[in-house]
Amino acid sequence: MSSKVQILFKNIHKKDSHTYKVYCQDGGYKQAERAMSMSTEDVIDEVKRAGIRGRGGAGFPAGLKWSFIPKDNSRDKYLVCNADEGEPGTCKDRDIMRYTPHMLIEGMVIAAYAVGAERGYIYIRGEFVREAEILEEAIKEAYDNGRLGKNINGKKIRFDLAIHRGGGAYVCGEETGLIESLEGKKGQPRVKPPFPANIGLWGGPTVINNVETLASVPSIIENGGEWYGNLGVEKSSGTKLFSISGHVNKPGNYEVELGIPMKTLIEEYAGGVRGGWDNLKGVIPGGSSSAILPKDVCDTVTMDYDAIAKAGSMLGSGAMIVLDKSVCIVKAVERLSRFYRHESCGQCTPCREGTGWISQIMTRIENGQGVEGDIDLLLSIGDNISGKTICALGDAAVGPVAGSIKAFRDEYIYHVEHGRCMVG
Amino acid sequence: MPTLIIDGKEISVKPGATIMEAAKQLGVYIPHFCYHPKLAISGNCRMCLVEVEKMPRPVISCAMPVNDGMVVSTNSEMVTEARKGVMEFLLINHPLDCPVCDQGGECSLQDLAMKYGPDRSRYREEKRQFPNYDLGPLIETEMNRCIQCTRCIRFSTEVAGVEEMGAVGRGDHMKVGPYVEKLTLTSEMAGNIAESCPVGALNLKPFHFQARGWELKNADGICDLCSVGCQTSNDYLDNTIKRVMSRECDEINLSWLCNKGRFAYDGLTANRLEQPSVKDEPGTISWQSAMDRAAELIKGVKPDEVAGIADPSGHGAEELYAFQDFLRNAVGTGNIDHRTRIQDFSGDTVKLTRADLMMNTSLADMATADAAFLIGCDPRFETPLLNLRLRQASLEGARMFSLNPRQLNTNLEGLKQSVVHPGGEIEFLNAVLAGFDKADAKSEAGQIATALKASERPVILLGDYANYHPDAESIRRLAVAITGKASALNGKWNGFNRVASRGNSAAAQDLGVVPHRGAGYKSLDSSGKNSLEIFKAAASGEIKVLLLLGGDPATDAIDSQLVKTALDKAQVIYIGTHTNQSSKNADVILAGLALGEKESTITNCEGRVQRGQKAVNGPIESKEQWRILRALSDRFSQPLSYNNIEALRLAMANADHRYDLSELYANEIAPACDHSPVTTGLEAANGKKAKGGMTLVVEASFYQDSSVAKNSSTLALLVDGSSVQINPEDAALQSIADGQKVRLISGEKNVEIKAKIDKKVPKGVIFGQFGSTEGLVQDLYNWEEGFPQISIVAL
Repeated sequence: MSSKVQILFKNIHKKDSHTYKVYCQDGGYKQAERAMSMSTEDVIDEVKRAGIRGRGGAGFPAGLKWSFIPKDNSRDKYLVCNADEGEPGTCKDRDIMRYTPHMLIEGMVIAAYAVGAERGYIYIRGEFVREAEILEEAIKEAYDNGRLGKNINGKKIRFDLAIHRGGGAYVCGEETGLIESLEGKKGQPRVKPPFPANIGLWGGPTVINNVETLASVPSIIENGGEWYGNLGVEKSSGTKLFSISGHVNKPGNYEVELGIPMKTLIEEYAGGVRGGWDNLKGVIPGGSSSAILPKDVCDTVTMDYDAIAKAGSMLGSGAMIVLDKSVCIVKAVERLSRFYRHESCGQCTPCREGTGWISQIMTRIENGQGVEGDIDLLLSIGDNISGKTICALGDAAVGPVAGSIKAFRDEYIYHVEHGRCMVG
Repeated sequence: MPTLIIDGKEISVKPGATIMEAAKQLGVYIPHFCYHPKLAISGNCRMCLVEVEKMPRPVISCAMPVNDGMVVSTNSEMVTEARKGVMEFLLINHPLDCPVCDQGGECSLQDLAMKYGPDRSRYREEKRQFPNYDLGPLIETEMNRCIQCTRCIRFSTEVAGVEEMGAVGRGDHMKVGPYVEKLTLTSEMAGNIAESCPVGALNLKPFHFQARGWELKNADGICDLCSVGCQTSNDYLDNTIKRVMSRECDEINLSWLCNKGRFAYDGLTANRLEQPSVKDEPGTISWQSAMDRAAELIKGVKPDEVAGIADPSGHGAEELYAFQDFLRNAVGTGNIDHRTRIQDFSGDTVKLTRADLMMNTSLADMATADAAFLIGCDPRFETPLLNLRLRQASLEGARMFSLNPRQLNTNLEGLKQSVVHPGGEIEFLNAVLAGFDKADAKSEAGQIATALKASERPVILLGDYANYHPDAESIRRLAVAITGKASALNGKWNGFNRVASRGNSAAAQDLGVVPHRGAGYKSLDSSGKNSLEIFKAAASGEIKVLLLLGGDPATDAIDSQLVKTALDKAQVIYIGTHTNQSSKNADVILAGLALGEKESTITNCEGRVQRGQKAVNGPIESKEQWRILRALSDRFSQPLSYNNIEALRLAMANADHRYDLSELYANEIAPACDHSPVTTGLEAANGKKAKGGMTLVVEASFYQDSSVAKNSSTLALLVDGSSVQINPEDAALQSIADGQKVRLISGEKNVEIKAKIDKKVPKGVIFGQFGSTEGLVQDLYNWEEGFPQISIVAL
C-alpha cells in the first residue's frame, strides 16, 4: 500500500476550500481546459484507463458508461449528477459538495464535454439544504468565471448546470427514479431497457454519475488514467471515501485507496471499535443495503469491490456501519426493514408487497411474537423479491435480512423461541 | 426480422417487438395483469416474467424487446417459481372476496390464482385496507381489490387525456384513485377504466350486482349512437342487456368505448312503444288493423302528398333501404330525407359522390396524420373514438388547428383554436386558402396554411357545426380546395373528411334516404322534396301524410316550430321505438325494434359496413321495421319484393355493392373509405355575414343525441339539465347570474331557459342544445334564415 494519497479530500482542510478562489489556487479548472484540448474519445479513454467504478453503489465502470452514449442520436444529451445521497450510513458526497464543490463542477464540465451534453443537473437530496446553497454559490462563481455557460474557457463549448433538490425519497437515488423525479413526475424507477444512455432525461441520451465519481475525474485528467489505475488494487482502482459510523471511536469520512484491509481502516483511521476489536460483532460494509459481515470475516477482508462481493456482501456506497456486541441484530435489521418498507415506491408487486411483509414479520419477531417458520419465511420472501423487481430497491431490502440471518441465525432463533433479545 | 425460439417453437417477428407480442403471435399465452396491448408498457405486475437463455434473472416479457437468436422459456421451473412468488404477493393483501365481486368468473387474478396461487396463505399479518371513492354515476370502487397495475391511470392520462386517476403514497400504501375522496369523472371515456381493470377494484356501477360474468351471453353489436360504429359486446341475461363491453378492433375502437356507447343500454327498455296503436281508438289494436289504417291514410292522398323522414340512428341499413324502397316504389313518392338539421341543401344540386360525404382517411390512418384542421368540428363530443385517433396523432407531434364558433374543451395536445363569429367561417377559410400562395405568418389563417402546406399527411375534418351551417356547401367546397392545396388529394393520401356524427347516417346516404338520389348513388329523373321542403309543405297542407321512421324531429330538427306545425297539420304514421314529442300525436303508431333487438347493418363515418347481432327480444308486440314496411307494402299494388332479411340484403347489395358482406370471412372487416375521389373544382359562394346582435348556435347534446341515449337514465345523470351557455360579459350586461332563468327572444318567438355562464363562449354568441327538455332553443330558428339573431333578458 502506497502512502496516503488524497484526491477528493486534498483541499478540504484549507480555509474556504469551497470557494472558487481557493480551488483555483491549486490548479483548479486547469483540467477542464486540458480535457477540452483533447478529443472527446481521448477523454473517455483516459477515464476508461483509470478503471474508476461508479461510486454510488453499483460499481459500474464510469468510462464504459460514458462510451454508451450514442454519437448519432440527434436529441439533446444530458449529464446528471446523482447527489441524492440517501443510503443509510452514507455521508461522503455531502463532504465533497460542502468542502470542494468546484471539484465536482469541474468533473461535470469534463464529463459533459466527453459525452457531448450541453445541459446538466445536480439532483441533490432535499435534506442537504446547506450543501445546495454552497453548490448554488459555486455554480454562480463558475458561471461568472466562464467555467460554465456558453463558450467555456473561450471555446465554442456550452454546458449549463442547474441544481434540482429532491423531495426526500430514497428511491430517487435510483437513476431512473431520479430521472422521473427530475422530470416532475412521481419518483418511480423506469423499466430497463431502454437504459438512460439511450432514452433518459426528457427522452434524450443521459449519463448519470455519482458525486464522488464525477469529482474524481479532474485528477484522472491531471495525472492520467494509468496513474489512477495504479492506485488501489486490480479491478478496484483509485481512492474511495468511506463513511464509517456506528461503534467506532472516530466516526467520519476517510479517503483511502481501495483494497485496504477493513481492520486497518477501522483501527487506524476510525479510532478502532468501541471496547477494542474483539468487541466487534459485525460490519455492514457498504450502506444499509449490503449484507452484514460477521467479525471473523471482518478480520481479514479487504475493502475492494471483488473482495467484499466474495465475502457475500457488497462495497456499495462505502458506508460502513460498525456494530459492537451490544447490538441486537434482530432489532437493527427490524429498523432497516421498516426503512425499506417506507421507501419502496410501491410500483412493482414483489417490492411493494414483499417489503411490507418482511417488515411486519421482523416487527413481530422483535416484539416477541415470532413463530416457528418465520425465519425460513423471511428467506423465502426474500427469494421471491430478489431479481424480480424493476429496480434494485427490492434486492436492497432483502440484503440486510438475508445477510443477517445467514450470519446470525442463532440470534433470530433465540428471539423467536424466547420472545426477547439474546443481548442486553 | 429477428427470429427467436419460444418454448421450443421458432418465430420471426417485426423488429422492436416484445417477447410478449412474439408469444402472442405464436399462440403462447403469457400471464399478465398490468400489460394491456393498447396501453403503454408499465412492467409493474411482474407476472409475465420469462426465462431467457444467458440472462441471469427472469425478465418481463411485456417490456423486453426480442433479439435475434433469443431462446425464451415461458414455463421453466424458474419462471413458474417466480410467478408463484408474484402471485402470493398479489394475494396477501387481496380480500379474496370473489363470491361477492362483480369481476368474479372473469377475473385475471382469480384465473391465474388457480394456476399459480398457493392453496393456503403464509400471510399472518393484518390485511391492508383502502378507502373507496365516489367517482360519480358510472364507476363503483372496491379499492381493497386493487393490485396497483395502473391500467386505469395509464388509460386516463394517455388515452383519455385527463389526469383524473393517479397513485398516491408509496410502498404497500400506494393508493390508486382520483387523488381526492369524491370526484365525478369527467372523461367521456371513463367507463373504460372499469373494463380494463383486471380485478374487481373498478366496476361498472350500472352493472353492479346485476349478473355474474358466467351467466351472461354475448352478442356482437355495432354501436350506432355516433357514426364511428364501435364494435361492442352486448352482454345479456334473461332477455335484458346487462352491460355493453368493447370488442378489440384495431381498425375502429381499439379496446375502448365512450360512455354513451357503453352506458346507454338502459334506454332500450324505457318509454318504449310496445304495440301498434291508432289515434282515438283506445285499447289494443291488432297489427292488421293498424296497418290497414296506415295504408288507408297513405292511399287516401296523392303519392306526392306523402313524405318520409327517417332517423338513421337506431335503424339498420336494411330498414333504411326498405324505407326508401317503400316510399319510392310502393307509394310512388320521392319526398324522402333523413337530414333534419341541415340548413344548406345546395349541395344536392351538384352530384356529390360518396367521398364528398364521408371520411376519406381511415380511423387508423388518422392517428398517423402529421397535421389536422378541424372545421366546425368538436370530435371529442361528436365522435369520441375518432377524437382518440386525433389525440394519438397530436401526441406524436401532429400540428393541430381548429376553427369553431367557440373554444373547444379538447384533449388534443397543442390544438391551436381559432374562433370566429358564426358566419365568419367563409372569410377565414378563404384566408387559409390564400395563405397557401402567400402566407401571412402573423395571422391564424396564415399559420394554418403554412402548417398544412408543410405537412405530408394532413387531415381536414368537417364536423357537425360545419355540416349544419347555413353555408355548409360553401364551407365544404372551401375545405376541399384547402385539402387539395395541402396536397392531400394526391391519390396516395386523401385527407378530406366530412364527419356526420349521427349514427348510421352514412347508410342513409348510401341507400338513397335523400330526395335527390336513389340507393347506391343512382341518379333520379326528378328529385323529391328535401326535409325542409317536406316540413314546409306539410305545414302549409300541401303534404298530407308524413311517414316517420323513428327519431323525434319535433325536438331534434333545426326548426322545431315548423316541424311541430307540420306534425300537427299532417297525418302522421310513426314507425318507431320510443315515445316522444313526434310520436305523441301520431295517427298511427307501428312499434318497431331498437338496435340490439335485431340484426342490423351499420355503416360508419369511414363508410365501413358492419353487421351487428341481435342480443335480446324487444317488446313482444313490436316488429323489425323492415317487416312492418314489407307488410304495409302488401296493401299497395307494388309490394316490396323481399320476404326475408336475406332477400332484402341481396336487394340492398345489388343497389350498392359495399353492402355485400357475403365475401367476408369470420372476423374479417369490410374496408373503410372504399369510394371515389372527392369532387373538386366547384367554386365556393360568398358566405352570408351574420347580422348584429346576439347569435344563437344549437349543438347536439353528446349524451342525449338518439332515442336510446335520450331515454337512458344512466346517461341522464351525466347531463346537467337544459341550459344555454353565455359569455360572462354578455351576461353581465343583462345582469344575468349563473344558473338564472332567461328569456331568449327572436322576432315573435321566445324561449325560457336557464343560462350558464361560460368563459369559453365568445362574446355575442349563445349556445344551446338540440332536444333540451326545458326550453327548446330551436324554436327560435327559422330554417331558411340561418343563425337567429336574438336578444336575451333575465327573468
